[in-house]
Amino acid sequence: MTNVLEISGLRKRFGSKQVLSDVTLSVPESCVFGFVGRNGAGKTTTMKSIIGLLKPDGGEISICGEKVTFGGTKTNRFIGYLPDVPEFYGYMTAREYLSLCGRVARMKPSEIKDRTDELLELVGLADEKHRVKGYSRGMKQRLGIAQALINRPKLLICDEPTSALDPVGRREILDILKDAGKQTSVFFSTHILTDVERICDRVAFLEGGRIVLCGDIDEIRKKRADTAVEVLPESPSDAALLAEQFPSGKVTDGCFVLKSASQQDAEELMQFILERHLSVIRFERREPDLENMFMEVIGE
Amino acid sequence: MNGIRNFFTFTGKELLELRRSGRLLVFLIIFVLFGIMNPAVAKLTPWLYESMAESLEASGLTVTEYNVTAMDSWVQFFKNMPMAMLVVLLIFGGIFTSEYAKGTLIPLLSKGLRRNAVNAAKTFTMLLVWSVGYWMSYAITYYYTDYYWDNSVVKHYAFAAFGLWLFGALLLCCISFFSSFAGSTAQVLLGVGAVYIALNLLLMVGTVREYLPSFLTQSGDLLTGQAQPSDYFTALLVAAVASVALLIASVPITAKRRV
Repeated sequence: MTNVLEISGLRKRFGSKQVLSDVTLSVPESCVFGFVGRNGAGKTTTMKSIIGLLKPDGGEISICGEKVTFGGTKTNRFIGYLPDVPEFYGYMTAREYLSLCGRVARMKPSEIKDRTDELLELVGLADEKHRVKGYSRGMKQRLGIAQALINRPKLLICDEPTSALDPVGRREILDILKDAGKQTSVFFSTHILTDVERICDRVAFLEGGRIVLCGDIDEIRKKRADTAVEVLPESPSDAALLAEQFPSGKVTDGCFVLKSASQQDAEELMQFILERHLSVIRFERREPDLENMFMEVIGE
Repeated sequence: MNGIRNFFTFTGKELLELRRSGRLLVFLIIFVLFGIMNPAVAKLTPWLYESMAESLEASGLTVTEYNVTAMDSWVQFFKNMPMAMLVVLLIFGGIFTSEYAKGTLIPLLSKGLRRNAVNAAKTFTMLLVWSVGYWMSYAITYYYTDYYWDNSVVKHYAFAAFGLWLFGALLLCCISFFSSFAGSTAQVLLGVGAVYIALNLLLMVGTVREYLPSFLTQSGDLLTGQAQPSDYFTALLVAAVASVALLIASVPITAKRRV
């Protein structure tokens, strides 16, 4: 399996600010890839470099094995791009805009028509007759995905596609992206971790201008199996008793938490509760979530 | 080949934009109005003098009969068309920068649209509007003037009109050039304005006069026959070469522009 996108040692500085110092990652075929980082971490800078809209100071980017050059647009035939705040010509209808995009992407007229119908259906704008200037943010975002997919790209790049949307709009976009991921690789940036958990196969965390964690989501989860056991006893004094018995645990808000608990730890804890006949409201094993992992890798 | 296809696609988009944004209508009204105004003002001149005769007499001026000829109409043409040019420049000042500011080019560039094609299509659209509008005004003025008076008493008006048209084209090429690096519409207009003012101030320097593109706007002597078209050839050449040079220079600058 070849990689659709490969970035190695990407560097970029704006004035005195080193935005990217060493970004290295690869996106395999048919995969939904989450690109996570805080606001201002350099996600957009990375994406604009991939499309050749920005000139990086160093490093290499290749798409389907071809090197990306700044200002050049050759490798863009493999790419569909959705900018963070997509702006379209307000005086056009969605259909007219997609047709313009198709012509720019050098598609045949019959192909443009078929693909436009298909995509408008996919993003739910098929019955929209109005011009783009009256569109809501969510509708623009959906048109943005449609225009990005028009030339059947090998790689769909979306810059924070869900950040500005309400929960309903967000779910719709995520579903569309997940659908799109069956035909093409999707590389999307976000700072919303639940979005990543919902649709991504792989993830990379960008922090301080470099990739601090990258890989298959399930594998990362396993590697960092920081399973915690949480016990909420009926009486607060019981929580203190548990803390006494298991010194590595902590009591917060009347709830006893044992971090990095192995299977054996959990069994011992349960044994203790049974022996002492403690009355427990809740006994829970917590799976590690991305948010905790993210906080951990960025050191907060 | 791809560049040429891109050019036609993007020119189509520019023309649709002109129509749907209502700018095409504005241009049409302005050029027709300016075309009609030239002979109309000339026609009304005697009537104006007559109506003011009494007040002028009171201040000591006696008005003899004023004889209007085709010359008055053409003088109006060369006085009024720079104003139409100003409107065109103001409306087209943001043709590039508004797209850069809004980011509407980004999705298309990411699809392989060439920056050269964008430059070419926008410059072509500006020149097309200026040319069609300008010569429409010219045609209206020509026919009305010939209908009321006799165009043959005026010398070299077609050549003079060509000179003014070329000067307008040069300023439109300035928009393309300044837009390749300016951050805002205001900066573009400031640049074009500076060029315009500088060229006109330099006209006062006798020695460089005939080399200046702005010399093409000084057509009074041509109309009366005191100057010959050959006196303007240098200015024509300079204007044409400068226009092409500005367009060529904008290509590498646009290519490096951060979008």
